[in-house]
Amino acid sequence: MKLLETLLNGLSSGSTYAMIALGYTMVYGIAKMLNFAHGDVIMVGGYTLYVSAVMMGIHPLLALLLAIICCAVLGVTIEKLAYKPLRGASPLAVLITAIGMSYLLQSVAQMIFGSADRMVRLFDLGRITVGSMQISTYTIITLACSAVIMAGLSLFVKYTRIGRAMIAVSEDKDAAQLMGINVNFIITITFAIGSALAAFAGFFMVLKSPPVNSTLGAMPGIKAFTAAVIGGIGSIPGAMLGGILMGIVESFAQTNPVIAPFTVAIEFSILIVILLVRPSGILGKKRREKV
Amino acid sequence: MKKFLAILMAALMVAAMFAGCGNKAGSTANNTEYVIGVSGPLTGGAAVYGLAVQNAAQMAVDEINAAGGLNGTNFKLIATDDQHDPTKVATNYANLMNQGMQVSLGTVTTAPGEEFKTLAKEDNVFFLTPSASGDKIPEFDNGFQMCFADGNQGKVAADYVNGAGLTKIGVCYRSDDPYSDGIYKQFKENLNKSIEVVETSFTDATSTDFSTQISQLKECTFIFMPIYYQPAAVFMEQAKDIIKADATYYGCDGFDGLAGQLDLTTIPQEVSMLSHFDATAKEGKAAEFVKKYTEKYGADTLNQFGASAYDCIYAIYGAMKELIDAGEEITPKTSASDLCDMLKGKFTGGYTLAAGATGSNIKWNADGTVDKGAVKYNLK
Amino acid sequence: MSKLKNIKWKQYIVYLVLVAVACYFGVFGLQQNLNRSTTILLEKAAVAMILAVSLNLVVGFLGELSLGHAGFMCVGAYLGAKTALALTAAMGPGNELLVLVICLLVGGVAAAACGVIIGLPALRLRGDYLAIVTLAFGEIVRSLFENLPDEMFGGSLGQQSVRYDRYQLFIIGFVLVILTLAVLQNLIRSKHGRAVTSIRDSEIAARACGINVTKYKLLVFTVSAFFAGIAGVLFSFTQNKVQPTTFDYNYSIEILVMVVLGGMGSLNGSLIAAVLITYLNEELQIVLTGDLAVLRGLLYALVMILLIIYRNAPALKGFREKWNMKRFIDRMRKHDPAKIHDDEAKWDRVPTKIMVDEVLSVDIQTSSPYTPDKRKKEED
Repeated sequence: MKLLETLLNGLSSGSTYAMIALGYTMVYGIAKMLNFAHGDVIMVGGYTLYVSAVMMGIHPLLALLLAIICCAVLGVTIEKLAYKPLRGASPLAVLITAIGMSYLLQSVAQMIFGSADRMVRLFDLGRITVGSMQISTYTIITLACSAVIMAGLSLFVKYTRIGRAMIAVSEDKDAAQLMGINVNFIITITFAIGSALAAFAGFFMVLKSPPVNSTLGAMPGIKAFTAAVIGGIGSIPGAMLGGILMGIVESFAQTNPVIAPFTVAIEFSILIVILLVRPSGILGKKRREKV
Repeated sequence: MKKFLAILMAALMVAAMFAGCGNKAGSTANNTEYVIGVSGPLTGGAAVYGLAVQNAAQMAVDEINAAGGLNGTNFKLIATDDQHDPTKVATNYANLMNQGMQVSLGTVTTAPGEEFKTLAKEDNVFFLTPSASGDKIPEFDNGFQMCFADGNQGKVAADYVNGAGLTKIGVCYRSDDPYSDGIYKQFKENLNKSIEVVETSFTDATSTDFSTQISQLKECTFIFMPIYYQPAAVFMEQAKDIIKADATYYGCDGFDGLAGQLDLTTIPQEVSMLSHFDATAKEGKAAEFVKKYTEKYGADTLNQFGASAYDCIYAIYGAMKELIDAGEEITPKTSASDLCDMLKGKFTGGYTLAAGATGSNIKWNADGTVDKGAVKYNLK
Repeated sequence: MSKLKNIKWKQYIVYLVLVAVACYFGVFGLQQNLNRSTTILLEKAAVAMILAVSLNLVVGFLGELSLGHAGFMCVGAYLGAKTALALTAAMGPGNELLVLVICLLVGGVAAAACGVIIGLPALRLRGDYLAIVTLAFGEIVRSLFENLPDEMFGGSLGQQSVRYDRYQLFIIGFVLVILTLAVLQNLIRSKHGRAVTSIRDSEIAARACGINVTKYKLLVFTVSAFFAGIAGVLFSFTQNKVQPTTFDYNYSIEILVMVVLGGMGSLNGSLIAAVLITYLNEELQIVLTGDLAVLRGLLYALVMILLIIYRNAPALKGFREKWNMKRFIDRMRKHDPAKIHDDEAKWDRVPTKIMVDEVLSVDIQTSSPYTPDKRKKEED
């Protein structure tokens, strides 16, 4: 029984990780860059919820919509301002700019909202009793929502024009361009979708624990990226798998008082081991290096 | 190009030199007021404590000055920002000494305090910290605490649990925090071995999601939480339907500020804490402090750190006044070291602060720890 | 005399500046007549310079991003402090310098061992993957030291360390900076250094030229980690306690900011940037208090983004070539770029950039050698 509960807890936090990891993996697959600022987009989403739902008193679901729009716009802006000028430059330069961007967002947020926590309480979700077990509604909602979002995303990528264009760009940017695909537009769309997913993740994180501060997204962001790498970066099912694996490992590690303090170390060790054994991740495709 | 770089570098070095050479220790020769220094987190995650100390200490200083100071001489408070980072303390300390610090409130938090105590020992500077509760903070003869030491809090909490007739308790502590870790280790040591303990912990990186810990603890009716109020608030909110409604959360002084973080009436469980300060006090010095503080700075940063700092200023003021009355010569130009020797003798020699916001008849032990009553408050 | 004339003084001017600074302050230091904040600044600058220069080896010359530099430093600091405590207890007072030297070696070697461990995955990974592995490594190391039993490394309270005499430590620090610089410069100027930079510019081309990429990557990681460990030991001697929170991800980023600001692939630049940022940190800590403190983070973020975009954006290439510092200085010196001097080989910045992508278009399969038989089988 306890095992099942731990598993459910892991699944619910894992699905949040998976949602963040999706954003990473999509951007990485298409723009071939690690968007370090992705975690901080979550934080911006959290603050948007704070401003709209708490300060202005808008209905939480409308606030979520607003947060999604804000984050999507922010994601696209970051891409246009910081990453686009560097397209074609060395990957190292792009990576450092992304780290700088992450810092910039955190500093600006701290400047506007200060360093104290802001409390964002949206809904009071109750609990559902199944047999002898109590499951929090939150867990179910998170799981259901993330399943729907992931399925939708997979379908979108597989069956729509834009989605197929995304696959084409991720396979070969130049060839895609020759085939008449507007690569810039596809990258913009990818950033918008990834950031919208970050807003969703922010919503679920705030739903679970109300304090929002400027480092809200930093650690989940890094963990989610780890999850994306474990699952195989560039692969949508891989991100889901990695995220959920991460959540489950985390929740099981925390049940043992001796190894609980080492939770983070264990998670990162798994990353290193997986990369050593299978550098492309569990579900990732092996890429040939071309000159 | 290389030459240019080198010249630039040399220029930088020269610029750095301007701070340059001079007397090594701080000088009190230019002081016209008694200078009290403190280093605390005025920005960053722990800012609420540093600001509380700064505000309350400033309030006490203003009050004393308004009442004519110490025999006509005013006090001056200098607060520096260490962001709860031990590596920033040395700079702050040097800066305070350069500004003529004579006596100090040490640091607000424990981790930077570990650095501060040795620096202060080297120059023999007296410090009375309002809230750095680490056991080793008053390690040297010049360091004193106004708050209870962590070990002491753990012991008092364990005594309480031993006497309460419980057979099974739960614990949730933060393993990467010296405060939480320190209290819990002492607690475990002093706890009756017959009591079964369900131990859970978390780290800074996992402090927003307590679902695993909560499901571990849900059978317990008594949960000891030696943690700060922010994670405690998150824990309680996530646990309110899972943990039994008649359970008790028992925290230490870190719980202080909880009421500002969440609406306690929505939590069915009992919340109590071991503390020296009651923010809901209706009478006495504590109530007076709460009223004055909220009028001046609002309730956002009202907590026991501030109350403790307020008492620290009055304790130092009182001790200096008694020393002067006894014929000692203390002026703003008295060196920190001389003043330290006098105050050390005073504080270990049975000096008593009759009434403060954090208790009455406050005395100090020879090892620098405070001797006053701890009270268990029911927050709800 | 003629020999002296042949020496290219330009190349050694950095060393001269460093020696001059160390001597200048050393004289005051040995007389114990130095401002406390100056000694702190000098110590911190020495640590920062070693860190920045050693990170530059990985980032600027190997072209891989390491986000775990603070992790290597952490290993050095902890082991250095532990060794220092044990040795001081065993050897008694009077042997401080010997203890320091032994600790430097122990810390450096331990960190270098970690460098080998982290270098092994580096052989298989590149770019973003490697960055995230180094980041993970940094977090693992910190979390291990923080959570291992208190008897081993002091747990969350931190490891007690031995404070070296503050009026002499910075001299040793500057000696270490000079040693680090000498080793790294000679490494980079050697054929090994050229091999390393060729890996940066095109790993596949380097492989094709018969360069053992594996060996050189491992070498660079080990050397860089060794010096980070040295910096860690030096740091531990500036503190009374080594606390795990110091070595977080933000610290690695701060070192990276130094490298970026100074210019990737320029050791002198790293030195200047390290001094500048340390100096700014110290000054801003005092000046910017309250909510203003965040401006520092904002400044670093902007510097990082704008500098990288300016230096690397393909669209700005023409602009860069027209408006760079070198050209400006050349114009001031009325230098004619068309006139080529005798072997003015750049010894700190090796230009090996060849547009390999345009030259070759061969499909090489790395890490698995071409075996016709195997492929045939697979097709069947």
